[in-house]
Amino acid sequence: MSNDDKLIEGHEYDGIQELDNPLPKWWLMTFYATIVFAIGYFAYYQIFDGPTSQEELNADLAEIQSNQPEVSTSTDSSEIDVQALLANSDAMKIGEEAFGQFCIACHGQKGEGTIGPNLTDKYWMHSKGDLTGILVAIRDGFPQKGMPPWGQVIPPEKHAPLAAYVISLKGTNPPNAKAPQGNPIE
Amino acid sequence: MPNLYYDDQVVRQFIKATLLWGLIAFLAGLLAALQLANPLFNFELPWLTFGRLRPLHTNAAIFAFAGNAIFAGIYHSTQRLCKSRMFSDKLSQIHFWGWQAIIVSAAITLPLGFTQSKEYAELEWPIDIAIAAIWVVFAINFFMTLKIRKEKHMYVAIWFYIATIITVAVLHIANSIEVPVAFFKSYPIYAGIQDAMVQWWYGHNAVAFFLTTPFLGLMYYYVPKAVNRPVYSYKLSIIHFWALIFIYIWAGPHHLLNTALPDWAQTLGVVFSVMLWAPSWGGMINGLLTLRGAWHLLRTDPVIKFFVAAITFYGMATFEGPLLSIKSVNALGHYTDWIIAHVHAGALGWNGFLTFGMIYYLVPKLYNTELHSKSLATKHFWIAITGILLYYISMLAAGITQGMMWMDIDSSGRLTYPDFVETVTRIVPLYWVRSLGGLLFILGALLMFYNLYKTMVGSKECPNIKIPEPLETRTTEKETGHRKLENAALAFSILAFIAIAVGTVIEFLPILRVGAYVNSEKAVAPYSPLELAGRDIYIREGCYTCHSQMIRKLPSDVMRFGEPSTINESMYDRPYQWGSKRTGPDLARVGGKYPHLWHFKHMYNPQDVISMSIMPSYPWLFKNRTDFQSLRRKLSVMKMLGVPYSDDQVGNADTFAEKEAKQIAKELQEQGADSDRLEDREIVALIAYLQALGQKGIDQTPNANENEEDEK
Repeated sequence: MSNDDKLIEGHEYDGIQELDNPLPKWWLMTFYATIVFAIGYFAYYQIFDGPTSQEELNADLAEIQSNQPEVSTSTDSSEIDVQALLANSDAMKIGEEAFGQFCIACHGQKGEGTIGPNLTDKYWMHSKGDLTGILVAIRDGFPQKGMPPWGQVIPPEKHAPLAAYVISLKGTNPPNAKAPQGNPIE
Repeated sequence: MPNLYYDDQVVRQFIKATLLWGLIAFLAGLLAALQLANPLFNFELPWLTFGRLRPLHTNAAIFAFAGNAIFAGIYHSTQRLCKSRMFSDKLSQIHFWGWQAIIVSAAITLPLGFTQSKEYAELEWPIDIAIAAIWVVFAINFFMTLKIRKEKHMYVAIWFYIATIITVAVLHIANSIEVPVAFFKSYPIYAGIQDAMVQWWYGHNAVAFFLTTPFLGLMYYYVPKAVNRPVYSYKLSIIHFWALIFIYIWAGPHHLLNTALPDWAQTLGVVFSVMLWAPSWGGMINGLLTLRGAWHLLRTDPVIKFFVAAITFYGMATFEGPLLSIKSVNALGHYTDWIIAHVHAGALGWNGFLTFGMIYYLVPKLYNTELHSKSLATKHFWIAITGILLYYISMLAAGITQGMMWMDIDSSGRLTYPDFVETVTRIVPLYWVRSLGGLLFILGALLMFYNLYKTMVGSKECPNIKIPEPLETRTTEKETGHRKLENAALAFSILAFIAIAVGTVIEFLPILRVGAYVNSEKAVAPYSPLELAGRDIYIREGCYTCHSQMIRKLPSDVMRFGEPSTINESMYDRPYQWGSKRTGPDLARVGGKYPHLWHFKHMYNPQDVISMSIMPSYPWLFKNRTDFQSLRRKLSVMKMLGVPYSDDQVGNADTFAEKEAKQIAKELQEQGADSDRLEDREIVALIAYLQALGQKGIDQTPNANENEEDEK
C-alpha cells in the first residue's frame, strides 16, 4: 500500500476493507473518449448523412468492378485452335488440374459421370460437345439442370484448356461409366 | 440452533458438481475440436456428431461448469457478507438438485437432437420451464437472505450477484417464449430478424450476466480474501458496476453486424460495445490493484497465480470484444475462429481460472485441512496456461487467416480463393494445435481433481463454522448517496432492473413492430410442409453450428454467395438460422445451386463429393423415416403465429408433404440415385428444404430466362 492510500472508515465486510482511491485518470479519460466516439459515430451514421450499409456495399462493389481489367469472357471459340490446345501438354496439364479441382465432384475422376453426366461418351444434353458448347457450360452452367456456373470461380485463362481437356476425354471408355444422357452427337 | 452456523454443506455440493460437470464440458470440447481436425471423430453416430455435441459442450461449460461454480461462490460468500445463514436450507437443496437435474436432462436431450437451435438457449420448452422455476427458487433464497442479513451494508460482490440474478431471469424468460408443438419441440413466437435480435440480446448478455457479473462478484470477494488486502477503489466499484450493467445490455447487435439488421440497431451495437471497454476494465483495475503489496504471493501461492491470470484474461477479452465490434474488424473476424479464440480466452482464462483459484482457496477451508499438494496446483497452472495460449493463438491465427482468404480479391477483381474448401484446408493444421491446447487444459484439470480428492479424503471432518457478530449493526443512522442504497436491497434491486431495462426496451420496441421492416410487397412464400419437415431436421442436426444463412452486405460475401440476405427472406423463420460460424459455406442461397443428387451423395458422405471437406456424414438420414404425422400440428402452430398457410395446407399437410416427397424421390432416381423407397426418408425432406433456401423471394434468379435460351 502506498502512503496516499486511505481506508474508508466503516467499510469492512467479512474482513475485506475498501480504499478511498479516486478513479484512475487514464481510465476516466478512456471512458470519456469512448463516449465522445460513440456520440460522433452515432450522429454521423444515423443523424447526418453518413452512408448506409447498402450504399457502402454498392460503392465497394463499384470500386472492385472499376479495377477489373477487361477480360474476354467471350465463348466465341472461332479464334481458339482446339487441335493446338490438345497438342499442348502445358495447356492439357492446366485443364486436367482444373478438372481435378472443380469437376470430378460431379463428373467423376475420369469424367465417367456420377452426379453429373458422363463426359466421355458421345451423348450431350445441352450442346454439341464442341468447344463453344463446353465453354458456355463452364461459364454459365445450366442451373435448372443442376450444373452451376463456374465462370466466377475458375480463372478465365483456364476455361479454354479445361474445355479442351473435356474434349480429350471423349471415347476414353472409363470404368463405371454412367448411362448415356442427352442426344448422340456424331 | 442451526442459524448460528453457516450452511457450507451446499457449497461443498456445488463445488463437487462444478468439478464433475467441468470435466464433462472439457471432454466434450476436446472431442468437438478433434471432429473439426478430422471428421472421423464424428464416428457416424447421430448423437455424437459435431452439430449435436457443440451445443452440449457450450451448455455444459456455461451452465453446468460455470453455473455450479457461481452458485458455490455465491452461497459461500453471501452468507459471510450478510453474516447470516442462507434463508432456507430447503430452498438451497432444491436449487442444488433441481439444477443438477436440469443439467442431466440437457445432457440427454441435446445428443438426441432436441434443440431450439438458439445458441446457449437450445434446451426445449419443458427444460426452459424448469430452469425458470429453479432460478426463482435461487432468487427467493438469495433475496430473503439479503432481507434477514445482519450486516448493514451490501458489499460490491452482492451488487453483482443482484444484477446477475435479476437479469438472467429477464433474459431467459424473454428469449424462451415459444409455442410447443410436441413434448420436446417448439417454435419461438419471434421470427427471423426478431428472433435474431432477441437471441443475441440474450446470447450476448448470457456472457455478460452469467459469465461476467457473477464472476466479478466472486473476484471482489475471493481476491481480497486470498491476499488479505483492501479493495483498491470503492469509487471505481460504484462507477464501473453501474456503467457495466447499464451499457452491457445494449451491445447484443454486435453479433449481427453487416447483416440484414437495420442500420440503426447495428450502430447502437457498435457504439455501446466501444463504451463497454472502460467499465469492463474498471473491474480488471480494481482486481489487479487490490494485489498491490501482495505481489510476492504470485510466486508462491497457486491461488493467486490463477486469480491474476484470470483477471488478465478478462482484461484481454474485454478489450478484444469492443475491437471485434468495430464493423470493419467484425467483417474480418465474424464467422471465423477468431470468435472461438475470443470466447475461450474468456471461458478458459477468465471463468476457468477464477473458478480454479476459488476452489483451491475454498476446499481446504471447507474441509478444515491443508491443500494436499501446492506443487501439483502450481503444475496445474502452468500446464493449463500453456494449453490456453496454444488454443488462443492457434484459433486467432486460423480466424484471421481464413477471414483474409475469404475477403481477398485479386487484381482482376475476382475472389482469390473462390473455392470455400480451400480456406478450410489451410487452417486444419491449426485445428490440431487447438486440440493439443485443449488436451493440456484437461490434463491440468485432472491434476486438480486428484489434488482436491486427496485433500477431501484427508480431511477428518467438515467444520461447522459459527457466524461471527456483524461489524456494524443495522441502525437507522442517516446516510446519503450510494451508501444509503447499499443498505436498501429492494431499492438497489429495482434500480439495477431499471438499468438493464432501458437498453432492452429502446432496442426492442422497434424490432418487435417488425411490420415496419418487412416489406410486404416483397413478401416471401412460406415453406411447403415437406420443406418445413426438412427444416426441422436441419435444426435437429445442428447445421447452424457450422453454416450461416446470412449473406452480409460485404463485397466478398456478395461475390461468393450472391445478393445480400434481406429481412423478408427470413420473415417466417422460426427459429431464425442466420448462424454465427462458417466452418462450412453460407447456405442462404444454396437452393437450386446443385442437383438433388449432389446433396444426396454429399449428405451420405461429404468426402465423396468434396474430398477435402471436414463435414461429417449423415447416413442415418437415409434410414430414418420423415415424421409426416406431426406436420398438421406444426403448420397449425405456424399459422397461429401468422404464417399465411391455407386451411387446406394445414389440414392436409401430411398429404402435401408425401406428394412432394414422391416427386423429389422420382427426380433423384432419374438423376441416378441408386436406392428405392426414398420418398419417406428424412434425406428427401432435408433436400426439399436445402433446395428451397434463397428461392422463396419473388425477385430471384434474374438470369433464369437467359439460361433457358442457352439450352435451346
